[in-house]
Amino acid sequence: MIAMLAKLLKALNSDSAPGQIALAFALALITGLTPLFSLHNAVIVFIACILRINFGAFLLGTLFFSGLAYLIDPAAIALGESVLTDTAYQGFLTDLYQSDFWRATRFNNTLVLGSLMIALISFIPVLLISRWLISVYRHKLMAWVDKLKITKVLKASKFYKVYQALAD
Amino acid sequence: MKQWIRWSGLVGFIAISALLVLGWLFAAGPIIKYSIETFGSQAANAKVEVENISLTFDPFGIEIEGLQVANADKPRENLLQFERAVADIELLPLLLGKGIVNEVALTGLAFSTPRQTSGALAKVIEDEAESSTDEETETTADKNEASLSQQALPTADELLSREPLLTEQRGKAFKNSFETIKTDSDKALTALPDSKAFASYEDDFKRITSGRFDSIKDFQQRKKEFDGLKKRIKQDQQAISQASKVLANGKKELQGQWSGLQKAPAEDFNNLKSKYQLDGTGVANLSRLLFGDKVGEWSQEGLYWYEKVRPFLVSADAETVASQDEPETARSEGRFVHYATDRPLPELLVRQVQLALQLDVGQVSVEIYDITHQQEIIDRPTRIVATGKGLKDIKSLDLKGSLDHRVVPGKDVFDLNIKGIVLKNYDVGAMGLKLDRSQLDIIGQAELISGEVDANTIAQFTRAKFSSKDKTQVAVEMAKALAKIDHFDIQGKAKGALTAPDISIESDLDTQLSQAFNQRLKEKQQELEAQLKTALNDKLLSYGGDYKEQLKAMDLANGSLGDKQAKLKQLAGSELSSFQDQQKADAKRKLEQEKKAQQAKLAEEKRKARAKAKAAADKKKKQLEKEAKERFKKLF
Repeated sequence: MIAMLAKLLKALNSDSAPGQIALAFALALITGLTPLFSLHNAVIVFIACILRINFGAFLLGTLFFSGLAYLIDPAAIALGESVLTDTAYQGFLTDLYQSDFWRATRFNNTLVLGSLMIALISFIPVLLISRWLISVYRHKLMAWVDKLKITKVLKASKFYKVYQALAD
Repeated sequence: MKQWIRWSGLVGFIAISALLVLGWLFAAGPIIKYSIETFGSQAANAKVEVENISLTFDPFGIEIEGLQVANADKPRENLLQFERAVADIELLPLLLGKGIVNEVALTGLAFSTPRQTSGALAKVIEDEAESSTDEETETTADKNEASLSQQALPTADELLSREPLLTEQRGKAFKNSFETIKTDSDKALTALPDSKAFASYEDDFKRITSGRFDSIKDFQQRKKEFDGLKKRIKQDQQAISQASKVLANGKKELQGQWSGLQKAPAEDFNNLKSKYQLDGTGVANLSRLLFGDKVGEWSQEGLYWYEKVRPFLVSADAETVASQDEPETARSEGRFVHYATDRPLPELLVRQVQLALQLDVGQVSVEIYDITHQQEIIDRPTRIVATGKGLKDIKSLDLKGSLDHRVVPGKDVFDLNIKGIVLKNYDVGAMGLKLDRSQLDIIGQAELISGEVDANTIAQFTRAKFSSKDKTQVAVEMAKALAKIDHFDIQGKAKGALTAPDISIESDLDTQLSQAFNQRLKEKQQELEAQLKTALNDKLLSYGGDYKEQLKAMDLANGSLGDKQAKLKQLAGSELSSFQDQQKADAKRKLEQEKKAQQAKLAEEKRKARAKAKAAADKKKKQLEKEAKERFKKLF
């Protein structure tokens, strides 16, 4: 956990493109908010593996959004329920239901569909906001944070040694 | 773009995915084997063992080798076993945790094969050890019952021992009451004064009341004795009243019970007569006598296999309802919304099972469709089709079954059609009868709802020829009557609880035979009735015993009690006179004596006066006669 956090800080403080870290967070939003063992998450993990994104940020983001999912689940279920039972989409959904592949995705589960919709809608905003936050952190906060007493204390700790080892 | 792709990540993803797939492939076999053995054993209540399970990939599926399902009732025997089963499984639904099996092909299927080791589960063995004693008792009881039920024409003694009799019930009650009342009355009579006591009372009375009082003291002494005697007599009077009451009540109770006991043999006789009719109704049971055992065996066999197979084909209705409700309550996991489809996916579905049953008569191919515990999802019942063609001594065999559990309660329906069964030397089993030859067609329907069975089967016998080696009169007459019959139908019905249905058998054979047997059975009936009457009367007498003598004795005792009571009343009514009374009595007696003396004197004087007057009158008469005689002489 410490190593993972150190990696994230390293990434934040390194020359990695802010977009790579932001994309990791955005992808983690999907794996975190939706039920983990779903077919679409296999696709997301595959994307996270082959794209040059920060994997530590992806895993940490998944953990963070999984925790957040407990709060969002009721809203996600309600959204999924309204979409799946909406008469306007019945034809389309019934067509999808005829395919074993689409049923394997569990699209007809209220939580899967609702949380996936929330994640997809939030994907671009999360990507942009996190990218902006990383830029802000690097340009304005990093120097100020370095001067903080707590940072100095941390630099004397075991955590910083791990961080240093990884940075080297 | 190139800088965005991480090739090492792609390799890593493929490597990890490959590892997961390989791991699953290696683990799947043992996991499935474990599942079949564990859950199969629970369902069969006996050991289910699988030799080997492997995965196949074209098409994707599993191959099960050497499966044995032990018989829970006979642990040293397999209920069924097969050499090989290949199941074609759909891959994508597996990702949803749904086992959709398109086809299962079984080869080397065999039933009731011997086992090397016991197939009983450990828990079952323990339970069996505990209940072995009970079972032994039950088995003995069952055997007795079975042997009794197999007897065609029971004797009077058998009927009496088999049936609960009012004569016995009331007889026992009467005997108990009789004993109790006899003891009570004997006890009451023992407490009464006997003849010696009475003689003593009389002597005492005479002694006390006779003779003169010498003095006042003598009077007081006698008075004291007299009062004591009266007190004893009063106590005896009370004892006699009590004894009379005991005797009267006892007599009343015994008379009431005796009346019921006397009626009991007649009531028993009527009950037995209506239950064991051997006349017209008895003839109607003839087909049961001839074919009942076989029909019973077949019914038991059919129900046995139905109960064994049913848990593997459909789940209990209650479980289905529970599984339907489950997703509704799991809110945090969301719920699945289902749409109309011709490919519904329950959790487990076997679309088709094909197997070949190797029976004594040949091979019967069986196809089972849509085995699932969630029929409401696929909206189709489980169907069974069994077909036998070119069987030995059977022209064709067709069985169609439907286990419909889409709604509660579930309904299982079976249609059986067997044509052209050639019967040769069929041992009927009763009276040495044998069906030398016949052709048989069987049409049967059975419906099972909520553990209740309603089955109806018609067996049509044609070109029948009977014979009997038995030399008894009934067997000879039966064989003679059957020789004239070429064709007949037997209709078997089973209705009621699946575990113990009421099985009835009707046949036009009965009608055909009824006339021939009516006379013979009437004689038998009369004979049996006479035996029953005698036996019941014997029973009555055994319970009645010396009741009448005792009743007579009680009457006598009661009569003598009346005499005793009267005598005691008389004695108790006597009074002892006082000393003054004695003086007065003396004076009175003296006065009476004087009066009597005066009266005697007066009478003497009167007599003397009358004698004197008579003498004077006689003298005067003689004088007149003399004067008359002299006047007469003077006249002539």
